Amino acid sequence: MLDRERAYFAAHAPEWERGHPGAFVVVKNERLVGTYASIEEALAAGAHEFGLQAFLVRQLGVPPLQVRIPALTLGLLRADP
Amino acid sequence: MPILNIQLSGGLETPDGQRVALPSQAVLLQRGPVIQVTVGVGQVVAQQVLQQGGQLPPPVTGLALIDTGATTTCIDEEAAQKLQLPAIDVVTVASASHASTERNVYPISIEVAGLPIVVNAPRSVGAELKAQGLLLLIGRDVLQSCVLVYNGPAGQFTLTL
Repeated sequence: MLDRERAYFAAHAPEWERGHPGAFVVVKNERLVGTYASIEEALAAGAHEFGLQAFLVRQLGVPPLQVRIPALTLGLLRADP
Repeated sequence: MPILNIQLSGGLETPDGQRVALPSQAVLLQRGPVIQVTVGVGQVVAQQVLQQGGQLPPPVTGLALIDTGATTTCIDEEAAQKLQLPAIDVVTVASASHASTERNVYPISIEVAGLPIVVNAPRSVGAELKAQGLLLLIGRDVLQSCVLVYNGPAGQFTLTL
């Protein structure tokens, strides 16, 4: 999912960041749709153009959040001792 | 500030078919802090789709477990497909004991039964939760704007949004 968009982001994020540090970007296929001040603005722009289709939204200059969901990944949800 | 105070109730069936009520403390221990929620497409996305004359799938209702151990809110992947949520990113979910896995990220809105507000979780992670009887795991991305009081001895918890 979003393979092309992620590859395009990885290749161009440093140059975009120089002009728009901290901005949120929307990428579709191999096109930068725009840069935005907040994630809400980015989501609105993406949905305006692509509706419920997938599009990439990321913030420039911010390392990806390390997602940790131990109860889920360890299979412990609803564990019954 | 809306306040939701929950005291769970429940029971079990004895071998001779009799239903026995359990103390709230035991029910909370068994089920954890769960709340009834209705989940839909994130509000900002929904507004745009409707303005363009599009239609939205009906929201989905189910149980959410408040999980203070989770960095990020998770939505059941099957429900995400039913809601036609647009994937807006892919993240790697780290695990100490299993291989890390890639999961889609979705913008969702959460309406908590009993509270007159809608919470947006713009970067919720898709996960297989249905088998656990859950629609959502509410993680610290949502909890960072809440006050949660877990009162084990009384078998109740309070959520303030």
